[in-house]
Amino acid sequence: MRKQSDTAKKVSTTGAKTSDKPSALSSYLSHHQKTYKATFKQLLEQPLASFFTCAVIGIAFVLPALLTILLNNMQSVQHNWDGSAQITLFLKKGVPTLDGNMLSATIAKKPSITSSLFVDNDTALEEFKARFELQDAVDYLDENPLPHVILVQPDKSLKSIEHIEQIKNSLLKFPEVEGALLDVMWVQRLNSITELLQRAAWVIALMLGAAVILILGNTIRLFIENRKEEIAVVKLVGGTNAFVRRPFLYMGVFFGFGGSVIAWILINLTLYMLNGPIEDLAHSYQSTFNLSGFSFESTLLLIVLGMTLGWFGAWLSVRKHLDDIEPT
Amino acid sequence: MIEFQNVMKRYQDGYEALQDVSFSMDRGEMAFLTGHSGAGKSTLLKLIMLMERTTKGHVIVGDQNLSKIHQRQIPYFRRHVGVVFQNHRLLYDRSVFDNVALPLEISGVNPREIGRRVRAALDKVGLLSKEKLSPIQLSGGEQQRVGIARAVVNKPPLLLADEPTGNLDPELSEEIMTLFSQFNQVGVTVLIASHDLALISHMAHRVIEINDGRMVQHA
Repeated sequence: MRKQSDTAKKVSTTGAKTSDKPSALSSYLSHHQKTYKATFKQLLEQPLASFFTCAVIGIAFVLPALLTILLNNMQSVQHNWDGSAQITLFLKKGVPTLDGNMLSATIAKKPSITSSLFVDNDTALEEFKARFELQDAVDYLDENPLPHVILVQPDKSLKSIEHIEQIKNSLLKFPEVEGALLDVMWVQRLNSITELLQRAAWVIALMLGAAVILILGNTIRLFIENRKEEIAVVKLVGGTNAFVRRPFLYMGVFFGFGGSVIAWILINLTLYMLNGPIEDLAHSYQSTFNLSGFSFESTLLLIVLGMTLGWFGAWLSVRKHLDDIEPT
Repeated sequence: MIEFQNVMKRYQDGYEALQDVSFSMDRGEMAFLTGHSGAGKSTLLKLIMLMERTTKGHVIVGDQNLSKIHQRQIPYFRRHVGVVFQNHRLLYDRSVFDNVALPLEISGVNPREIGRRVRAALDKVGLLSKEKLSPIQLSGGEQQRVGIARAVVNKPPLLLADEPTGNLDPELSEEIMTLFSQFNQVGVTVLIASHDLALISHMAHRVIEINDGRMVQHA
């Protein structure tokens, strides 16, 4: 920068007074404003072509965005699984009811355990009979085949299965305990599926992101071709590369914004169409699972991401094609 | 203001446009650059504009050796040299006002100042009333005057013109040349490439002639 202003000073010994400092910023900003307005107007002059470019970008955004939404929903399922993270402890045969009760009380006092409930084998059998209407079958049994059971509820703040697994193992060390059951297999499966989908989402997002950049790059290249003479003239009267690039970078940002808006509409439309079937499906599992849509933050993120990608695509194109244009 | 020291320019295809050209112009001088077409007039102007670089020798403009100006500094250098082209090189997608304002916008002059200076420049070339028109709506002579207004709006110490009257009839040509003289009278160094010898002869300014890329020495 210093060198540049030195150059200016040396040449301008007789004429050309450069603008004074305080006005430099306001003039810079006013030029930005003028540029984006002019660029926006230019895009509106070809509404259909501009719309198509935005639509292509928008459609490219939809798939990764939907996958992300799906993943978010799956993660929210995982976060709500605490109800089933119950550890069932089976006590050894011959452990007296009283000892079982005392053990249950001891366990309840342990850290990271919310509560524990002792269920003696007689109660369990009654429940069993009532629930499965097996009155007659059970009556044939000589003795109660069920063990005493302690239902342990780990702290709800514990999210990781490994942690709960550890608690289970520590509980197994009590001499009265025969075995323990932690029903989290489905959570583990869901975890693997989520991870798989997460990677797929990344790969798809990367590929489609690259596609967006290429599409934009090509579109911007055409605009540059059409304005070759203007670029040459601007460079002749002292326009820097940054000055010449500016309208094209704005163009990329506008395309990215338009693409994001179209993506937003398409995503919400898709979610709206999917919500019915998903509710039915959830209902069949006695669940009230609801596909949560696009939050304000996600919308903002989508738009910022779109604009950034648009800017980047334009920047690449401009870098490749624009700096080569020298006035002749 | 301008000094050529044994300048040689060979293009990439091997064509030697200028060979051993040396001359100098004082600050505030006005001169015509003549020679048949293809003699190297445009190349000489392009070297001053840094649109081309010398193969050998040095070009010095306003105490600055152009071979030492880095590519990135070129825009800042060009802001101090006004150029007028034969085909005007106006931008037809914007008004006369915006065409003339372009160099000021590029230099970052504040908007109010731009309006004032653009109108002053248009007033000077006699087109103040046509600032809102598109250049297409103007005649050839008027378009050239817009080009001149654009070249001088930044108040450059040096003004170059490449065949500025090439497409104009004698009467309009004289008007344009008079305009250049007026800028010269307020201290601007002016160099005009032209092969309109009749017009040049009664302007009473220095003539620099080149022939086949070499200086022709005048007695």
